[in-house]
Amino acid sequence: MGVVNFIIQNILTQASITIALIAMLGLILQKKSVGQVISGSLKTLLGFQVLSAGSSIIVSSLTYFGKIFTKGFHMQGIIPSIEAINGQAMNQLGLGRDIALTFLAIFIFNILIARFTPWKYIFLTGQAILWMATMTTVFGYVSGLRGIVLILVGGFVGGVFAVAMPAIAQPFVRKITGSDDIALGHFCTIGYIFEAGVAKLFGEKGENKKSTEDIQLPGQLEFLQDTYLSLMVVMVPLYIITAAFAGATFSKEFAGDTNYLMYAFLQSIQFVVGVYVLLSGVRLLLGEIVPAFRGIAMKIVPDAKPALDCPVLFPYAPNAVIIGFITTTIGTVIAMFALPKFGLAMILPGMLTNFFAGGTAGIFGNAVGGRRGAIIGGIFHGFFITLLPTLLVTIFNQMGFVNATATDVDTVTAALLYAWILSPILKAI
Amino acid sequence: MFGLGKKKGKLPNAAKEAQMELSAERTVQLETEITQNKELLQQHTSKNQALVYEKIGLAYSELGKVEEAITALEKSLEQEKTTGNGYRKLLSLYNQKRAMAAKAGDDLELQKYLEKIDWLMQISKDVTRGVK
Repeated sequence: MGVVNFIIQNILTQASITIALIAMLGLILQKKSVGQVISGSLKTLLGFQVLSAGSSIIVSSLTYFGKIFTKGFHMQGIIPSIEAINGQAMNQLGLGRDIALTFLAIFIFNILIARFTPWKYIFLTGQAILWMATMTTVFGYVSGLRGIVLILVGGFVGGVFAVAMPAIAQPFVRKITGSDDIALGHFCTIGYIFEAGVAKLFGEKGENKKSTEDIQLPGQLEFLQDTYLSLMVVMVPLYIITAAFAGATFSKEFAGDTNYLMYAFLQSIQFVVGVYVLLSGVRLLLGEIVPAFRGIAMKIVPDAKPALDCPVLFPYAPNAVIIGFITTTIGTVIAMFALPKFGLAMILPGMLTNFFAGGTAGIFGNAVGGRRGAIIGGIFHGFFITLLPTLLVTIFNQMGFVNATATDVDTVTAALLYAWILSPILKAI
Repeated sequence: MFGLGKKKGKLPNAAKEAQMELSAERTVQLETEITQNKELLQQHTSKNQALVYEKIGLAYSELGKVEEAITALEKSLEQEKTTGNGYRKLLSLYNQKRAMAAKAGDDLELQKYLEKIDWLMQISKDVTRGVK
């Protein structure tokens, strides 16, 4: 009994062990060899520890940034980073085990819904499912859910989103690709539908509709070629300008003998390093789990449509991707300055989200309202994807998250469902 | 929306193509095109080779020769990352193979084509961001 108690209390409570056991289960179900099962489980365990290390680096840099921003601009400046939210929830908040189990539960609910309902979509973007598991777990926890209920509710909500989002997007995907074979699996879909709605209202119609693909655009955005380089392009000036506003005297507390602007520069690089390490951890973590479970899912529901990551649509309207990125960025900058006027926190633009979500939204805007639809829709989209995460800032602050908010709007919507609907119901009963 | 508004009579492109029978004249035309392009492969520079492989792949696909089409289209993308007609056709063919493997319960084939689809997603990201 003592041994069992020891295992339950000291081993199974460890998030890294839980995640490794989930990977092990997937590998065993796939009838992998003993060697592959052991190496796959160990790699997953390693992935979690790498993710934790990345999270610590990000938190240290964000703590500094939060302080200088408040001093420099007399308001809270929030960095939109679902990676930072995931890392902090998994580690600093101790929700890693619950997130891992919710991640597994989302897969299972996705399979069940696809198997037994007409909505036959299997969501194959593993990283997005991890972000959804993070948000449902964090906000389920805030709502007062614990243990198996927290995991099952999170799994169900995430599972519903995993089929509902591709289903909502599918009429547009059919129009864009001219085919019904493949679906879109990206948890920014509500933003895409929002952009399509704006494009319908303000875009070109009928014969006047001109596609973004008929215009000549500079084909490449070189600074975006590398994820981390593109992060640096934003974070370096952001940290340095903020430090300049905070002033040398205030910054000395952190910088010591180092020049305070140089210190700000190094801290901005630290943030990028943190994201680099964390995402390397995520890749290791998901590298074994996702192939195992998506194989199982597609075998259980062979007639399901695979819901793939957003680059699946890029080839159909590459110009719309560029226009979507630029206009979404404009919208996020407008929202950055406008939202604090209404007493909300200042959310700084997240260039990676602007690229992937903005680019895909641009394709939707173009499909519905042509060039004008893509441009006007993109600006509204940028505002929308900044507004939604702003609504979560108070709860994140109360929970102890450091200077970050979530990005992908479907995960934010799931969180708002918990905060605005589930939580009041639970508190009333 | 939710698939409810979808017109029942409409078939996806792949299914439509499969249903269309090629005329004898078109078949001969495509086969000639393939032969000529294979000869061209011996002479051209790398960039043109990618284009020639793409043409061969698309012609094989129209003839219904899926394996040959996949091989040629993969060679095209290995030579040069693009997201044109060849890329889209290859994605569609991979998805057909994935669906067949899922129905047959063939785990190895299923994983193989899911990984190949991952490869295409990466190419799409790279091309959009201008990564060579």
